[in-house]
Amino acid sequence: MAHRRTGHNLEAQTLKKQLLTLGAESAIYKVEYWGRTLALKWRPIKPYLHNEIDKLLRTSRTSRECKMLTFVRTLGVPTPAVYSVDISNHLILMDFIEGQQFKQLASVSSKKRITTLCREFGKLLGTMHMSDVVHGDPTTSNAVVDTQSKMWLVDFGLAEKNATIEMKGVDMHLLRRAYETTHWDLQETMLESTMDGYIDISGDNAEPVLTRANKIRERGRYH
Amino acid sequence: MSLLCLGLEGTAHSFGAGVVSSKGEVLSNIWHMLSPAEGGIHPREASRHHSDMGPGIIRRSLEEAGISHNEIQLVSFSRGPGLGPCLRTTATMARTLAQKLSVPLIGVNHCVAHIEIGCLESGFEDPVTIYASGGNTQVIAFAGGRFRTFGETLDIALGNMLDVFGRTIGMSFPAGPSIERKAAEGVEYHQLPYSVKGMDLSYSGMLTAAKKLHLEGVPIADICLSIQETAFGMLAEVAERAVAHTKKNELLLTGGVARNNRLTEILEGVAERHGASFHRVSPPLAGDQGAMIAWTGILQHQAGDELPISDSHVMPKWRTDEQDIIWRRKL
Repeated sequence: MAHRRTGHNLEAQTLKKQLLTLGAESAIYKVEYWGRTLALKWRPIKPYLHNEIDKLLRTSRTSRECKMLTFVRTLGVPTPAVYSVDISNHLILMDFIEGQQFKQLASVSSKKRITTLCREFGKLLGTMHMSDVVHGDPTTSNAVVDTQSKMWLVDFGLAEKNATIEMKGVDMHLLRRAYETTHWDLQETMLESTMDGYIDISGDNAEPVLTRANKIRERGRYH
Repeated sequence: MSLLCLGLEGTAHSFGAGVVSSKGEVLSNIWHMLSPAEGGIHPREASRHHSDMGPGIIRRSLEEAGISHNEIQLVSFSRGPGLGPCLRTTATMARTLAQKLSVPLIGVNHCVAHIEIGCLESGFEDPVTIYASGGNTQVIAFAGGRFRTFGETLDIALGNMLDVFGRTIGMSFPAGPSIERKAAEGVEYHQLPYSVKGMDLSYSGMLTAAKKLHLEGVPIADICLSIQETAFGMLAEVAERAVAHTKKNELLLTGGVARNNRLTEILEGVAERHGASFHRVSPPLAGDQGAMIAWTGILQHQAGDELPISDSHVMPKWRTDEQDIIWRRKL
C-alpha cells in the first residue's frame, strides 16, 4: 500500500509510539520516524456510530486536516508541517510541537503573559478570517505554545475555506464560549486581549463578524 | 426529621407537581402535558392549560404523597428559563401556596433541576450532562461554582427537530417515539448534513434535507434511520468533546429525548471509550416534572437560599450558567 495514491502506509500498530492524548475523535502519538520525533494523529473506528457516518467523518476530516494545515501555513499561521498521510487508515504524520497547550499555560501564567498570548491568538484567528478560513474549533486546547513562546494552531479537522460572515461569527462565538467554560475567572481579560489582536489584523472587517457572533450566542436558546 | 418540599414545574407545555423529602425520596410526581390536536405549542394556550390543570395536579400530588397541605415545609417553582406566560402562571400558584402556608419560597432553574434530579437518581457527583428535549439541547458540566454550558444547539433543539419532521409526515406529538419505531425498520442510510461546530451543533440543515428526502419518495423508515443516526452521532461527538475536554468520568443523559434507546446506546459507547460511567435518567424523571424542582429546592434551601415574594419575578431568559451553585463544592 506504501505507494498507492491513498498515501503512505503508516499503520499505527507497527510504529513504536507513545500515546500523548486521547481526544474526542482522535488519538495523538509521539513517534520516532526517519530519525525524528514526530506526531502521529489517528482517527480510530467508533463502533457506536453508524458505520457509513463513521467512515465518512474519519476520511473527510483526515483529508481536510492535511489540506488546511498546509494551506493555513501559507497565510503565515504557524501549524505543524504534514509529512505523510494514510487516508485509508486515517493517519497523519506531522511535526511534533515541543511545548504546552495554551489551556494549561493560561492557568499558571502571569496576567501579562496571558494578555500577550491572547493577543497573539486573536491575531492568528484574524489572519485566517481575512483569508476566509475558519478554524472550526478555536479553543485554548487547540493552541500550543512552544519553548520559544511561539504560538502554533493545531487540530484543523473542522476547518473550512470560503468562510462567510456567519461561519466566522460561529468561530468567534466558540472562542468566547471556551473562555467562559474553561477560563471563567479570567474570561473578560482574555476575551478583551484576543479581540484587540483580532481587530488589529481585521480592521473594519471585524465589526460585522463580532456583531454576528453576539447574535449567534442568543440563537437556539430556549429563552 | 426530614423536610418535605412541593415543587411546581411549568416552563413550557407541561405542568407538574411533585413532593420530595430531604432524604431524596420522591413521594409523588404528577404531571400533565398539553398536546394540541395539530400544530405547535402556543404560550398563551399552555399557560391557560397550567391554570386549568394546576390546582387539580397539586391536589393529586399531595394525595399520592399521603400528606396534607400543612405538612409542606417548602415550596419551590421553575423560575426559568421558559415561556413567559407559563412561568408567570406557575409562579403565581407557588407564591400563593408559600404565603398561605407561611413556608419559604425557592426559585429553581429548570435546566439545573434536570441535572440535580439526574444526579440524585444515578448517584453521580460531577457528571457531564447531555440535556436533550423539545426545547433544549445542551452539554453542561460543573466548573468554577457554576453549571456551564460547554455546547448547545445553534438553532433548533433535537426534540424539536424530531417533532417538526414527524409533523411533516403526519405523526402525532411528540414524534420521537414514533420515529424511533420507524427507524428500527430502516435499511438504507441516506446522507444528511452533519453539522458540528466545536462543541455546538445545528439541526436545521438536516431537518430541511430530511423533508426533501420525503418529497423524493425515500421510504419513511430509511429517513427515520438516517435522521436518528446523524442527529445522535452529532450529539455523541459534542458529548465526547466535552468528556475529553473536562476529563470528568461520569456521563448523564436527561431530557425527553433520553427515552430513545438508540441515543442511549451511542452515548454508552462514548462513555466506555473514555472510561466514564453512564446513566440515562428514567423516563418519569427525565421529562419536565415537579419532583426535580422540589429536590433542587431542597438543595438550595439547605444551602441557605430563599426567595422573598417581592423579588420572585420570573426569569424567561435565565441561563444555566447565571446561577451560583452554592450547594455544590466549588471545583
